[in-house]
Amino acid sequence: MKNLASAGAVFAVSLAFPIMSIAQTEVVVWVAGEPGQTNVYDDLAEAYNAQSGDVTITVVKNSSDLFNPALIPALSAGEGPDLFSFGTGPGQPAALIKGGLVADLTDAYFEHNWGDTIPEGIVMQTSSDGKLWAFGNEVETTGMFYNKAIFAEHGISVPTTWPEMEAAVATLMEAGYDTPIGLGAADKWPVSHWQSMMFGRYAGPDGIESVLFGDGAWTDAPFVAAATKLQEMGQSGWFGPTPVAIGYGELMDRFWAGEVPMTFTGPWVIGGGIAAAGDRIGDYSVFAVPPFEDGQQIHPTNSIGSGWYIRESSENKDAAIDFMNFMFVATEGRVTLLNAGTIPVGPLDAALATAEMPPLAVDIWKTSDDHAANGTVPAFLDTITPGSLTTVSYDGLQALLIDYMTPEEFTAEMQSAWAVSKAAGEIMLPGGIAER
Amino acid sequence: MFLDPESRWARRLNLILFLLPALTIYIVFAIYPTFSVVEYSFTDWDGISPERDFVGLANYERLFTDKIFWAAFRNTFVWSGVIIVINVGLGLVIAAMLARVWKARLLLQTCIVLPVVISPMAVATIWRWMYQPTGVINQVLEGVGLGGLATPWLGSPDAVLYALALAHSWSTIGLSVVIFLAGLQAVDENLYEAAHVDGANAFQSFRYVTLPALRPVTAVVFILTLTQSFKVFDIVWATTQGGPVRFSEILSTYMYKRGALENQYGYGSAIGVALLVIVSLATVIYMQIQSKEDR
Repeated sequence: MKNLASAGAVFAVSLAFPIMSIAQTEVVVWVAGEPGQTNVYDDLAEAYNAQSGDVTITVVKNSSDLFNPALIPALSAGEGPDLFSFGTGPGQPAALIKGGLVADLTDAYFEHNWGDTIPEGIVMQTSSDGKLWAFGNEVETTGMFYNKAIFAEHGISVPTTWPEMEAAVATLMEAGYDTPIGLGAADKWPVSHWQSMMFGRYAGPDGIESVLFGDGAWTDAPFVAAATKLQEMGQSGWFGPTPVAIGYGELMDRFWAGEVPMTFTGPWVIGGGIAAAGDRIGDYSVFAVPPFEDGQQIHPTNSIGSGWYIRESSENKDAAIDFMNFMFVATEGRVTLLNAGTIPVGPLDAALATAEMPPLAVDIWKTSDDHAANGTVPAFLDTITPGSLTTVSYDGLQALLIDYMTPEEFTAEMQSAWAVSKAAGEIMLPGGIAER
Repeated sequence: MFLDPESRWARRLNLILFLLPALTIYIVFAIYPTFSVVEYSFTDWDGISPERDFVGLANYERLFTDKIFWAAFRNTFVWSGVIIVINVGLGLVIAAMLARVWKARLLLQTCIVLPVVISPMAVATIWRWMYQPTGVINQVLEGVGLGGLATPWLGSPDAVLYALALAHSWSTIGLSVVIFLAGLQAVDENLYEAAHVDGANAFQSFRYVTLPALRPVTAVVFILTLTQSFKVFDIVWATTQGGPVRFSEILSTYMYKRGALENQYGYGSAIGVALLVIVSLATVIYMQIQSKEDR
């Protein structure tokens, strides 16, 4: 009888195992970005899976270039990831929303009190028609990364004025650095970081807003002046003899190897930098590019990184929302993000108490905070303007660097593409969600 | 009740049944998408929305006034021209030389064919590194005293298209060589002996025996190279994305930008149809010329 009971128990357990495995819910998450930037989502998934019980998060990472061409057909076919990171600009998200491919997150916003975490400014960029479409999870900035050891070797102090910046570059060139400021312009998008920062410096936050949401034009004097300055810097060899021949990856390798003293980039490189530079990572820090002209203010660059969307046809929406809460709202997830150098949106006090941020991440955010009172400008204009403008800007910025286009021609091409997009209703409109 | 297995109908049915699997795959994955692209080219579809409006010939009218399209059009012809010269011309010469080599022929053949099996993305990565300003190509040029020829290959408006075409040819010429070699093996040795008896030297044998004998094979290689070169996307996208500016923009990269990156699938499809028409026309013209020469 006892043996029979044991056999019955074994049989019941053997039956239960397949049932338990069938009950396991898999949430497929697609993340775009550079390896150093996206590895943190593996850590988050692992931590979540360890405590979630019946939900398994599977993270699929892909480079930014290949992400959208894979994502859009998958979503259009009613398949693809349950949860994914995606741009928050006016172009592609608008098409996803219009196509009914992403879920309305407004209920989750109120149910989980996301308003306590996501700043209103970011909700404005991830909502339309009174509905929230994405969880804008992180704030990104850009700054001048530099090699302190090289600066010290040549007696260079961190420049705080433009003449000091010119002197620093001159000293480095005399010392044999043919590329004082690295710029991987073969990939096009790195130049747009300079463009966003310089347009913001010359036009200020109001000038940028006047174009994005008002009657301003990219041909306005501040934008032409910014483009002129960028071209002058290129002509003077600040970015090396041929920045358009060098890819971003190759450039960053040279930067972390100590061959290039400075490069203007963002915190997403920190993970890769720690891996590449090893013990020498302490040689690196960040400073704010000094004002280009007398009387100009430093406006830190601040942009929402990307937004997290849930596929409308997903059967695992609740599980996906739970994982987002774990990543971006729960302290454990926020600490994990901070430790990787990613700054989640919302109050940081609780997370910062236990986080061990890489010093470089602390440096870049301190640089940003020091000047935040002046008002911030977008770090990535290319992500909040339509795709057609991005194409024109990318090509035009390369054209400026090789003297194929004048600043006036460049801004005129931008304005022309902008006007077409504006007329077609493809530009970003201020959002916001309906109160309940 | 049953068909006579030897009857005409039974043979036809057999033929159809054997063809059906391949034909189904071809229709689903080649014919249907082609017709879909033609259909999309008459719409304003963004590639995502379920709705798309018929816009008539608007996308084609836009092609005529789009200066980037015409720049890409011109670049595509230069690109294909360079690749045809290398893959057909040099491919034939290499094959003819290999046919006369007995020692280490297999090794040489393997070396030439090996790049064909490398993934295009890997080819792009390899050449992107080699073409860097401090890359191996410039280092070698400087090492052999030709530093004056060193240039920022991928950043030079004058050099970029040719540099990429060379990289593409490196990865595809092996196929041309293999086809030419197969053709050469079919050439009657007696013709060479007769030419030798008539006092022909090596060049004259090549000119008056090999070339005419290989005419059908050359046509195959030419058409294959032409269609492949027009379709190339990966190596250009992974190295320059059509840059600097638009100096290496070819029709396939431009179609991708408009269609996939800017969500203008309707217009992107029109570019695709234009590409299809150009390749078809070039193929037909070449075949006409060939058939006239044969007559």
